[in-house]
Amino acid sequence: MKKLSIFVLSLIPLVANASNDVTQLEGSFKVGPAIILIFILSLFILVGLLFRAKDTTDYYAAGRGISRVGSGMAIASNWMSAASFLGMAALMYGTGYHGLSYVVGWTGGYVLLLILMAGQIRRYGKYTAADFIGDRYYSKTLRTIGAVIAILISIAYAVGQFGGIGLMFKWVMGIEYNLAVIIGGSVVLAYTLISGMLGVTKNMQIQYVIIISSFMIPLFLLTFKFDYFWLLPQIGYGSAVQDIVEGIQISEKSGLMNSLGHHFAIVPSPEYAMPWDPSAGQTFFQWMAIAFSLMIGTAGLPHVIQRFYVVPKARDARWSVVWGLFFICLLYWSAPVYSALGTILSSNPEVGTLSPDAIVVYTAQLGDINPLIVGLLAAGGVSAAFSTTSGLLVAGSSAFAHDLYVKVINPMARPKTQMLVARLGTLLMAVIITIIAMVDLALIAQLVAIAFSMAGCTIFPLFLLGIWWSGSNRAGAKAGLIVGGIVTLISLTYLVGARGLGVAI
Amino acid sequence: MEKNDYRISFFKPTTQQARKNRNLIIKLFVVWAVAIFGFQILLRIVEKPVPEEALITFSPAWENIEMGNASHSDYQAIAQSMIQVMGKITIKPDDYAALKDGTGWALSKVYPEDELPDLEQDVRHLHELRGQITSLQDKEYLETKELIISKAAPALGIGEGTLLAQLLAIGLDDNLQLLAEENKEKIPRIMSLYLTHNRSFLTDTVFLGFPFHYFYSAVFLLVFFVGLCWIYCYRTDKLHAKLNFLEQID
Repeated sequence: MKKLSIFVLSLIPLVANASNDVTQLEGSFKVGPAIILIFILSLFILVGLLFRAKDTTDYYAAGRGISRVGSGMAIASNWMSAASFLGMAALMYGTGYHGLSYVVGWTGGYVLLLILMAGQIRRYGKYTAADFIGDRYYSKTLRTIGAVIAILISIAYAVGQFGGIGLMFKWVMGIEYNLAVIIGGSVVLAYTLISGMLGVTKNMQIQYVIIISSFMIPLFLLTFKFDYFWLLPQIGYGSAVQDIVEGIQISEKSGLMNSLGHHFAIVPSPEYAMPWDPSAGQTFFQWMAIAFSLMIGTAGLPHVIQRFYVVPKARDARWSVVWGLFFICLLYWSAPVYSALGTILSSNPEVGTLSPDAIVVYTAQLGDINPLIVGLLAAGGVSAAFSTTSGLLVAGSSAFAHDLYVKVINPMARPKTQMLVARLGTLLMAVIITIIAMVDLALIAQLVAIAFSMAGCTIFPLFLLGIWWSGSNRAGAKAGLIVGGIVTLISLTYLVGARGLGVAI
Repeated sequence: MEKNDYRISFFKPTTQQARKNRNLIIKLFVVWAVAIFGFQILLRIVEKPVPEEALITFSPAWENIEMGNASHSDYQAIAQSMIQVMGKITIKPDDYAALKDGTGWALSKVYPEDELPDLEQDVRHLHELRGQITSLQDKEYLETKELIISKAAPALGIGEGTLLAQLLAIGLDDNLQLLAEENKEKIPRIMSLYLTHNRSFLTDTVFLGFPFHYFYSAVFLLVFFVGLCWIYCYRTDKLHAKLNFLEQID
């Protein structure tokens, strides 16, 4: 029955190149995945046009007319970036249990966000993070600094996304990475400029459906094919983790192969699951520090906080976090499945060194899943990067146009001028992000973690104390920003320096 | 409350609603922190470095080799252990190269000396083919691999149809007799690094197929976070209804 099912699945018409007759997983232009990708991107632009921003309220905060579940989906889509879709599995593929610190940090932070921030932020009725900071601390300087930090965070975060878009475009089109970054970046820029936040929010709901379906479908197929409990792969892969720890002999799963013709077998590899394993080069302290900084970073990211301005009431803001977190967790429960199966499928040294950031796609490819479904997966990755990037560009341009231009430079600016400045800001940011993405500084998730560190050190304390402690004042906020800025600068210097010296981070 | 009223103190709430909200936040925060960090601290406290079986076999055999009284079975034991490490996904290229060197050298100690040049020739041929083929299923490539396995695996006490045999075929260099001094020094450290793991009852207990600690962090905590958020919203709604508390509406 099982063989029959696999046979039936393989009868789906193939348009794309099969991968089982080459020694490398990357190659030339893949027609099927390219068609899927173009279709999905066209859909985004169409929705963007249909729901495009008509005025500044629409552009910044989607007219405050989005439902709780819809907002939850938008939160999830906005959140589930290339770092979640591609980077999560990449981290666990390379560092095993250590990668779970990112899963725990990125989801646990939502509890903080909810109980400490979400409802309260909505209650103050601001548009942007800098709005709140400027008004709360009665300071134009702090507003300006807040806006600049929001822009920097958006840029740091978006660099990882552009990297993810570049990787997927490279895989689909068989072109060079830098060119792929430029093409992918141009498409996301065009779309954001056309639609603004209202289109983005509507799109985010569609994007969520695409992201989660494209991520789940290959999981059912893979767990079914390799004899794990496929009805609920998020639990079924537990046996795969245990198999990695204990090893799988060829005789145990005889007949099961990867697309390159290697047996579904692996030597005992406890380092995959054991905590802070010496061979992974990560320590207990790093696990705790990463989880903690990602948690406070989550609660301080301007583009995440900004989502709470788009729900009608504080109560809706709270419930949208519950929905958002649930939708996010659907993906985070699933990402380790790719990592576990990818570890087994690529364990033969003949497979060679794979780019961890593309392990999700490689796992499906090595599992000999229909190329069209692999294409859908790649399109999901692009979609994840798209949804976050467009949100980031809007948050960054809002800070640029609303917080810097209107509130500081030209308070008398007409709405039309504001829109123009917002769009110019978006364009400028996209150019900067593209250039940095081409440098290929680190893994996608690590790049994104920089944005979290920055948000955790700067925006989070200003919001937390500003909301909950009437004694917090302008001088304290400035001092906090200086210290937070220095800490961030040190970590950035370390990252860039380590990259320059070729040291692993 | 006014929209822009910032006169709030978490620790000195002025209304009943604010007081109850603060208490709820503190309770949830404590539970949240203990569930995340408390568990990892417990994991750290109870863990012990435990060697894999391959290291337990490797260490005495390597000692015998260093003392110059090694037997065939010692060379077989270190080769098998090294091949096992070469199959690990996390192995770094430098470490792989050192173990490759060591495995070939161990093989040369147990392989008939007069047949070694033939075997080295086969390995060389395999490497040449690897650079030319477009498919890993290439017939000649597979046949050469099988030929190497049929010659080398029995000498190392490895079954021909096993995973170790597959790894052996691609894990040999073409100068079997030579082991670089630098690699000889590195090998025990490499073996210890890749074959020692932090384990405890939390990692060795299997739950729903998972090692328990892995299940806790990868699955349970996420369910728990959604649950905490749900509890907060539900309790807040109930509290607001009970106190007839109206939130700011634009």
